[in-house]
Amino acid sequence: MADSTLTLSINSSQSSLTEEDARLLRGLRAGIESAYEELLNRYQQPVYSMVYRLLGDQNDTGDVVQEVFLKVFRSVNAFKERSSLRTWIYRIAVNEAHNHRRWFSRHKRREVAIEQENENHHCFDTTPDPGPSPFDFTLDRETHILLERALDEISPVFRTAVVLRDIEGLGYEEIAEILQISLGTVKSRILRGREALRRVLSERLEPGFATAFI
Amino acid sequence: MSISCNHVRRQSTAYVDGRLRSKEQAGVVTHLAECQACSSYFEQVSNIRSVLNVLPAPVMPSGLQTRLKVIASRERASVLESRGSRFEAIWARWKFRLSEMMRPLALPATGGLLSAVLLFGTFVLMIGTTSQIVSYEIPLCGDNSEPSLLPIALQSNPVVLSMTLDASGRIADYAISDPGTTFTSDPQSHLGSITLPSMPTVFAVAQPVSGDIQIHLIPLAFRQ
Repeated sequence: MADSTLTLSINSSQSSLTEEDARLLRGLRAGIESAYEELLNRYQQPVYSMVYRLLGDQNDTGDVVQEVFLKVFRSVNAFKERSSLRTWIYRIAVNEAHNHRRWFSRHKRREVAIEQENENHHCFDTTPDPGPSPFDFTLDRETHILLERALDEISPVFRTAVVLRDIEGLGYEEIAEILQISLGTVKSRILRGREALRRVLSERLEPGFATAFI
Repeated sequence: MSISCNHVRRQSTAYVDGRLRSKEQAGVVTHLAECQACSSYFEQVSNIRSVLNVLPAPVMPSGLQTRLKVIASRERASVLESRGSRFEAIWARWKFRLSEMMRPLALPATGGLLSAVLLFGTFVLMIGTTSQIVSYEIPLCGDNSEPSLLPIALQSNPVVLSMTLDASGRIADYAISDPGTTFTSDPQSHLGSITLPSMPTVFAVAQPVSGDIQIHLIPLAFRQ
């Protein structure tokens, strides 16, 4: 069932290359300056945001984003147009971030562990009792910081799915194409990613809160 | 029919994202109305999703934007240079990289090459003086011939004896050719039939060197 849905989505995306994308591709392949500018204007910020969410480090993100656009420009002739331009670029970005994280994972994990230990003390020392439910937090800065740290803590596999779905707002089918996995796996990863986030946040804000759900 | 909490929670993602069928959704809604724990769980998941959705995007550094523009400009130039051919683009890119890599080495390498050519040229001239081609004409009749006899060159072609000498000046290989037959080197079968003339005037002054020697034997007749 999941496979047939995925096949359908890929088939539909073959014809879903918009006229705008097609025009942009023609421009890139012909070396037209405005096409290069347009591609950067359209995708540099989203790609940067997504890679930053996946890696959590500004310097690493800069390096990866450069690699992503280098690959995009150099592979534009090889792009077979079986997906939308955005899906293709996001796929390159996710793969590049994944490769980068794989090489530097041990180093980064150590850094995060030390940093989080210090930050946890800071958080509990300065944050007052949030009230009856920690999830009643409004969208203030503290909530964002907590959520971003929680994102750093969950498995990169689940984090990628959650970032693509809940932050970038991509559809399930598009995520399946980007990650090249089945629709069922996408659902499962999003579910487990959200659950992991919920558990991390619960433990951090109200120790013992999450145990009620396990 | 009641649904288990685990089953309902597994559907939280699809429910929050509005991907449940109406019948499944109705079942979940009914369960949530009856189960406070699951209702709270769904609320938390939904809140997390809402907060993630409005997380402010990290600001892209201006330096990175500039670097991306530089990359775009360079890649565009590469496309224009190759006129759209992928292989030519790859070749142009490698050529460019190689050129960039070799540029600092170009001047020293050129100087070194010129020096080497100069030195080699000098040595070649010196070597040339020791291995130049020398031609000798030696009458084999020598002192034993009658003074009254006059040598007359016959019309037949000369026989050529080619010898290869090693570093000690010894014959390492040879070949004989005449207009009628061409012999290739087979020392065992031909060596006995060759009688080298005595050439004291030549070998007395020559230094032993490795190389090739060709002896042209011109048939002569004598008459008074």
